[in-house]
Amino acid sequence: MAKSVEEIAEAMFNLVKEAGSQKKLKPMDLTKSMIQMFGDEVDKKICKEAIKQLINSGRCVYTYFGGSFIELPHREGAAND
Amino acid sequence: MADNLPETPLLNELEKGAWPSFVKEIKMAAKRSPMCQDLLGQLEQSYREKIGYWKHGGIVGVMGYGGGVIGRYSALPDKYPKVSHFHTMRINQPAGWYYTSKALRDICDIWEKRGSGLTNMHGSTGDIILLGTTTDQLEPTFEDLSKIDFDIGGSGSDLRTPSCCCGMSRCEWACYDTMALTYDLTMHYQDELHRPAFPYKFKFKMSGCPNDCVASIARADMSIIGTWRDDIQVDQDAVREYADKGLDITSDVVNNCPSKCMDWDGKELHIDNSFCVRCMHCINVMPKALRPGKDRGATILIGSKAPIIEGAFLSSVLFPFIKIEPPYSKIKDTVDKMWDVWCEEGKNRERIGEFIQRVGLGNFLEAIEIDPVPEMVAHPRENPYVFYEEYFEEGDDDEEEEES
Amino acid sequence: MAVDMSKRRTDYGPPHYERFLPPIIKENYGKWKYHEILKPGVMVHVSESGAELYTVRSASGRLISIDKIRIYCDLADKYCGGYIRFTSRHNVEFLLTKKENIDPLIKDLKALGHPVGGIGNSITSIVHTQGWVHCHSAATDASGIVKCVMDDLIEYFENMKLPGKLRIALACCLNMCGAVHCSDIAILGVHRRPPRIDHANLKNVCEIPNVSASCPTAAIRPATVNGKPSVEVIEERCMFCANCYTVCPAMPLNDPLNDGVSIWVGGKVSNARSEPMFSKLAIPFIPNNPPRWPEVTGAIRNIVELWAKNARKYERMGEWINRIGWPKFFRMTGIEFRKEHIDDFKHAGLTFKRSTHLTF
Repeated sequence: MAKSVEEIAEAMFNLVKEAGSQKKLKPMDLTKSMIQMFGDEVDKKICKEAIKQLINSGRCVYTYFGGSFIELPHREGAAND
Repeated sequence: MADNLPETPLLNELEKGAWPSFVKEIKMAAKRSPMCQDLLGQLEQSYREKIGYWKHGGIVGVMGYGGGVIGRYSALPDKYPKVSHFHTMRINQPAGWYYTSKALRDICDIWEKRGSGLTNMHGSTGDIILLGTTTDQLEPTFEDLSKIDFDIGGSGSDLRTPSCCCGMSRCEWACYDTMALTYDLTMHYQDELHRPAFPYKFKFKMSGCPNDCVASIARADMSIIGTWRDDIQVDQDAVREYADKGLDITSDVVNNCPSKCMDWDGKELHIDNSFCVRCMHCINVMPKALRPGKDRGATILIGSKAPIIEGAFLSSVLFPFIKIEPPYSKIKDTVDKMWDVWCEEGKNRERIGEFIQRVGLGNFLEAIEIDPVPEMVAHPRENPYVFYEEYFEEGDDDEEEEES
Repeated sequence: MAVDMSKRRTDYGPPHYERFLPPIIKENYGKWKYHEILKPGVMVHVSESGAELYTVRSASGRLISIDKIRIYCDLADKYCGGYIRFTSRHNVEFLLTKKENIDPLIKDLKALGHPVGGIGNSITSIVHTQGWVHCHSAATDASGIVKCVMDDLIEYFENMKLPGKLRIALACCLNMCGAVHCSDIAILGVHRRPPRIDHANLKNVCEIPNVSASCPTAAIRPATVNGKPSVEVIEERCMFCANCYTVCPAMPLNDPLNDGVSIWVGGKVSNARSEPMFSKLAIPFIPNNPPRWPEVTGAIRNIVELWAKNARKYERMGEWINRIGWPKFFRMTGIEFRKEHIDDFKHAGLTFKRSTHLTF
């Protein structure tokens, strides 16, 4: 059965949370993990929707450190008060 | 307010001379912007100590988008608190960099209210660069810009803002409508432009002819360079007019032709177009007499980039010639296939040119379902380490015969 | 942050360019027949319809204030029906339909301190990056050197007395936001010391596998320092590209004593006559000497003048050097040839001289 955007977003969120500051994940890492996890129940298009929802909801943010990643919102090292 | 300008004896030296002075520009903006006053202070210190004082931010942006804002913080925030945050916004320029004074004034009004009042017209990629604002002003700036129909451009591992030469709007050499294609691709790939999903950046640059005024062949992952297939259009009367006015057609034009495909007998210019490499030299020298042919389109090349990481590349030929007409399906189909393969297999920070070098152009072509043609190489391979994938097995001949 | 995403307008892209095209361009779009350069910085495009469009090109300096943009707008209103454009090399262009407006406009631009030129066989504005004004990895300032070099070469912007076009570009570090690597003359900011590692903070701000992977020469490997996970740099492999610093802010390379600029020559992007070429190293290092960088402006003037004097008509810098050969280039310029000039990265062997075609 096809997974919903919400279910995928939740699974992606958990991955990002688990990775924490240990490993930065790129959108394609998340998509690949979902395909590994859910097989035929997901495709790249719905994963893209899920990422959009994750970002639009503010639960995750895009970051850039020599490449773009998806992370939990946090105060960055370089930021000043 | 002018009294608040810091002492800048070194920078003041850059107000002298005939070239427009960026120091004067910053000082102009500093009359109303406290940010620019601290910018002057920090920059003077950089000039004194020969080192920059900025930190790279990686997280600020506008809600929903993953590109277009470059985080920047002063490394000396106590000394220069007004540039403690000094982020850049990249705004997607209109194709060809044309503006009305109304549109520019609207942008200025927003930037007076929301930021430093400093800009780059334009950044290297082509965006309008709004230089310097605080984190809390990013959302309001975007909101204000959306009211005047300006959207944010690309940064990070996304499609960078496409850009082009002025093309047919003001150039007789444009072999396709660069501005139309730029606008179409920009709109078609909005998601890729705003939500970084690639291994690294990807740039389209559209040049209308092989003179390549936007340096497409040196810095675009896909370089779309106008060219023609038929014969150069020659107005022999106009050629003679150039000669009469003193142009030495033999030494200036014929002897500079890289393919030696033309000669001048004092009355007529003869061109063997089957050998012409479309270099543009003769057309550049005699624009009133020579024009590109009528069967126009583009050569599409891929993979150029600056040195980081694997060294600098120039783009190389993918399609020797294709017609460039809406809805540009062949370009988009090819791009989608290229991105699919690159996103699946590419490493973080690996440009598509580097990816192609790693996996081999032959394998890449196979993956995007394009047949190899001799136009793609300067010459065939010199080294004999061929990874043959096809071979015969006993009995193959019989099968062939049965099938035919 | 309270943003209602459901009501938000996103992905609408740039305004359509047609909104900003002057009527004469809309009417003659795709119908231009030929152009002529009338004088430095001024050209006319003539349409099949007979319409004539005059372009006046002026230097902008790239880093400009909204005050200056508003002044440009005033000039656009006064002379151009409110239309204006910028070029790929940071020049501003005024598009006129009335020939008699050309000289008054030029007078106004010059009074403003903005020279007119950069068309034809000239040096046009220098494409450049942010430098100390705004960049974290800058090995030199960008706007400052550009200002000094163009102050010095202004005669070549305002005239068309060169053998061919000369394109200068500046990038303030190897990341090359300015993609300067195919310029007749490239000014490139360089670091010369390996990154200084902030071991105490590295793990908090950087991801170690990414830092290792960022190094083109595989000089960075994970290491535990003072009990903390960090990285170490094999210093003899570091070529100071600052790629690691872009990935990891805990590895700064900036060093006032050792940062400076290198000069590269002979690149081009145009296909005219010869194929596009990369720029090659002419001067490995010149220390930063702000505010006027006299050693840099002097070195560039020397190269420009030798080319201007010796190149054949139309010959770009790289075409001239290819004709005379690199040994002659070094002899003529008086630039010392050193170990740094010899490539030692991938495929370096392809750059060695592999024939007896030599001049003496």
